[in-house]
Amino acid sequence: MARLLEYQGKALFKRKGIPVPAGKVVRSASEAADVAEELGFPLAVKAQVHAGGRGKAGAIRFPDDQGSLTKAVEELLQQRIHGDAVEEVLIEKKAGVEKELYLAVTADPSRRQPVAIFSSRGGVDIEETAHQEASAVLTLPIDILRGLYYYDALNLLRRDWQLDSRRMFAAANILTNLYQVYREYDCKLAEINPLALTADGAVALDARVDIDDDSLARQSSLDIEVAEEAGERGATALEVAAGTIDENDHRGSVHFVQIDPDGSYARSEGKVPIGFDCVGAGTSLTTMDELVPLGYYPTNFCDSSGNPVGSKLYRITKVILSQPQIEGYVFVSCVSSQQLDNTARGIIKAFQELYPATGGQPNIPSILVFRGAWDDVAIELFAQHGISGGRWIRVLGRDTSEREAAEIFDSLYKEWKAETGGFE
Amino acid sequence: MSTLEFEVRSGGTISIDLNKCRTCESKACVKICNSTGMGGILELKDGLPSLKPTLEEVKRGACTEDLACELDCQLYGNKAITVTLPLPELDEYLENLTERPTYEREA
Repeated sequence: MARLLEYQGKALFKRKGIPVPAGKVVRSASEAADVAEELGFPLAVKAQVHAGGRGKAGAIRFPDDQGSLTKAVEELLQQRIHGDAVEEVLIEKKAGVEKELYLAVTADPSRRQPVAIFSSRGGVDIEETAHQEASAVLTLPIDILRGLYYYDALNLLRRDWQLDSRRMFAAANILTNLYQVYREYDCKLAEINPLALTADGAVALDARVDIDDDSLARQSSLDIEVAEEAGERGATALEVAAGTIDENDHRGSVHFVQIDPDGSYARSEGKVPIGFDCVGAGTSLTTMDELVPLGYYPTNFCDSSGNPVGSKLYRITKVILSQPQIEGYVFVSCVSSQQLDNTARGIIKAFQELYPATGGQPNIPSILVFRGAWDDVAIELFAQHGISGGRWIRVLGRDTSEREAAEIFDSLYKEWKAETGGFE
Repeated sequence: MSTLEFEVRSGGTISIDLNKCRTCESKACVKICNSTGMGGILELKDGLPSLKPTLEEVKRGACTEDLACELDCQLYGNKAITVTLPLPELDEYLENLTERPTYEREA
């Protein structure tokens, strides 16, 4: 899933005839002043981050003069919203809202078809409304071959009697156009919350558009940097870097996502952040399950697949070890056909480059578990290159279970911490 | 010619210092490239490592980038091979880091 920022989503809405407020994206208070001169007060200033719940997080402000605009923009540009740094803010003309509606089109996996969603109780806490009063949220499954016609949208909206006919026609028109956005841009979700009803008509005050990452090859105009599943945030710089590894090389893949980009979650839970790499997503999850109860939290997920060339392992190992907060490194392969000697060579080259003073022996507790094709060669290579003799590394073989790997790492970490004091 | 240099599929180069190869007795790079490695792109010509495929074929993926030539040359040869695999986006990330990675620090 690749989530667009609000202003990017609104640009798609505009192309399909969905009204959005006049506005511009800025990166400084001086740019904001120029926009204010053009639009006039009052304004809405909205931090452009992928996270939801911006209103409650103080990421949306309503300045009514130049002084409060400058203050709002400067403050927001220094903020992190749910861990997402604010680099841009959207300045819009503030709408005089009479009523807020909710409109969306999304994929319904249980029905295997798109579904249109409408509620006359849009705005904040729509999820809570849906949870507490399911009848307030109306849905309409859409036959993807037939599409959604204007009168289909009308039939959905008229099930709610709170709209007068003029507003119902306007909202139905917008829902029909929203479905066009959903289809044309291969969305997983196209959502307007709220659709504001104003004296001048209906206008989309927010836009949430999630693009199906499998479609990015034909959605190149959207200029999406990375398509890894990252949840409610944009891709980190490290994820963007990792994403380029597979870009021009079809020979196997390395899939990297940061679970806890700055290690703050691990710290808040009293856990030790570690770098993590696995061959096989199942092995990755089971190894995590063993590590977490022992007090370790992988700050990233990484899975290599399709027998990647050694150069990919070299690059991804450098990526994983460049996370500054990690105090350990764990690599575990499942028993698969991946040629582990090539995997080992990639890791060895990375270790040699990152730890030149010790010939590749890491300075953080590290375990590597090679299980599968050519695992004996992989283990032997670490010995031949003098790396497995290091004080803080253990290179293990096919007789090691995930639990044993976690326990060996735990023991090694405790020794390391007691002897060196760690990085504190 | 004192250097054999060729580009690889993922974006990078492999450079072989043939002057060092002249005194190398093992020619380990050729052996490993044609055994464990799946590439099989190196051969001996006039006693020195040479490419079997064309430069274009190598760049399109004939070289499987297993890194075995470089690492075996370290162990058994004259350290004549350098594999350079850039990742500019990672360099950019590292330049902007406020806290240095642990491999640059002392525990």
